[in-house]
Amino acid sequence: MSAHAEGPGGQAPKLPPGVILAPGRHELGAGEKLYLSAIAHGLLNTFKHLIKPKFTIDYDGTEKDNPKKAHTPRPGYRGEHYLKKDEAGHVKCVACFMCAAACPAECIHIEARPAPPEMKDRERLPARFEIDMLRCIYCGMCEEACPVDAIALSPIFNQVSDERVKKVYDLELLLKRGEELGLSQSRHRYRPDGVPGAVPERKDHQ
Amino acid sequence: MDFEWADYLWKLLPVFLVFLGVLSVVPIHVYLERKGAGYIQDRVGPNRVGLLGPDGLLEGLFGWRVTRQRILGGLIQPAADVIKLIGKEDFVPAKADKVLFTLAPMMALLPPLLSFVVVPVGADLNLGPIDESGHPVWLPLQVADLNIGILWVLSVASLSAYGLALGGWASNNKFSLLGGVRATAQMISYEIGMGLIVVCMAMHYQSLSLREMVGQQSHGVLQWGVFSQPLAFAIFVVCAFAENNRLPFDLPECEAELVGGFHTEYNSLKFGMFFQGEYIAMLAMGALIATLFLGGWHYPGYEALRAAAGDAFWANLGVTLLSLAAFGVKTVGFVLFQIWVRWTLPRFRYDQLMSIGWKGIVPLALLNVVVTVAMVLA
Repeated sequence: MSAHAEGPGGQAPKLPPGVILAPGRHELGAGEKLYLSAIAHGLLNTFKHLIKPKFTIDYDGTEKDNPKKAHTPRPGYRGEHYLKKDEAGHVKCVACFMCAAACPAECIHIEARPAPPEMKDRERLPARFEIDMLRCIYCGMCEEACPVDAIALSPIFNQVSDERVKKVYDLELLLKRGEELGLSQSRHRYRPDGVPGAVPERKDHQ
Repeated sequence: MDFEWADYLWKLLPVFLVFLGVLSVVPIHVYLERKGAGYIQDRVGPNRVGLLGPDGLLEGLFGWRVTRQRILGGLIQPAADVIKLIGKEDFVPAKADKVLFTLAPMMALLPPLLSFVVVPVGADLNLGPIDESGHPVWLPLQVADLNIGILWVLSVASLSAYGLALGGWASNNKFSLLGGVRATAQMISYEIGMGLIVVCMAMHYQSLSLREMVGQQSHGVLQWGVFSQPLAFAIFVVCAFAENNRLPFDLPECEAELVGGFHTEYNSLKFGMFFQGEYIAMLAMGALIATLFLGGWHYPGYEALRAAAGDAFWANLGVTLLSLAAFGVKTVGFVLFQIWVRWTLPRFRYDQLMSIGWKGIVPLALLNVVVTVAMVLA
């Protein structure tokens, strides 16, 4: 855009009474009032977007095994849950119900059973541990509430199902998911603070 | 009475060619519009409903998944849209004027189709000496060569304002009515500028027949109207946007103010007719611009090819098909430009629309008339 437009006789053109220009703006000259350069500018801009490569991932059924479509969320992303195991390979959870109490969506259902006498470090184990992913709001409160670092949120975000029942995850599935992610023994707490293995390394740009 | 069926069928052939051609370009136009909108906004647009492969037409109809990858995804989307429209309830508001409410979409659909009657969509096809006279028979790729062709286009195009206005009135809805009123006012205002430009072009070509106009431009690219009348071309393009109710002049159906404008109360196939009429009108306007300013079906090198083809049938067919393609490229090119502009410019305010029309377009067009008169007389 050109500099301040000068009216006839070198004086700044008069604005209609009551009209105040915003800071940094100037009254448009005769050439600018045709808006031809502005329109050309806009057309050029939209054309650039027209030919720009799109970053939308096509979920055509190949997104799971096509490395080009792999997307790793940023560190700290709150996806679906998994449960961790201790060094002995037992579930870490002690069925204290803290996560169920903290959950604002009330999507965690736990039933406890007494721990076998040879386990000295805990009194109870979960007999049933179910998370209704359709109710979950992915707030991460369960992760924060857990006193033994047993439940955590994974970066998984694209699991869909054609049945409601399949979105109620049980103990077995949650443990298996932790193993699949290689995070069963990880020691991170809630926010990823540089603990290796807490979150898979980022592979793509965003 | 000497009634020759063959003669009538012969006359019907260009009708079928032209109208089937136009009607089959409309879905492609809709597809381009949605795809273009997506791409300009960094989206991908419709990409699911294709022909073969997953989500394709064949899978939907017969369960055949021919390929693993989607092929031409989204191309069948307009068909899916039409099926959806057909499936909807044909609803008429309780206090609407039922007769006019039903009539209005038809009145919006027919005029743009009719304006294609006089447009020569391709060079005449030399069929060779196929009848008893022994002379070559030429098949014109034009339904009717009216000697007042351009007037026919203008008069028929202004009829579509009735469809919009009546649709707005019959809906018994304030938004519809406002949309209809705006449509009428806008189309009448911009028809004046358009009419003045047509006057210029008629004086320039010394004819009102579209066939004659194309004939005069088919001697070389530099004879095209856009080079001899550049200002007229610019004004005509602006008027074309307003006549087609396209952004930045889509005030009759401006969503932000009027919900849906004149078609707020329409759904099902009645809406589909408005929609289709609008898209055919855009194509018709593209065809008119191609005919008046861009040489119609003429393409560079046409004379040399025509001379080389001689009387050979297949060579002539090739020359004619190329001319058809050239016409299509020009028409669809204008349509693509409309899509491009639609996603670039914001909508004008109503008073801005009127002031552009009456204070900008009309004086400029009048000036162009004066200049053209001087050029013609000189």
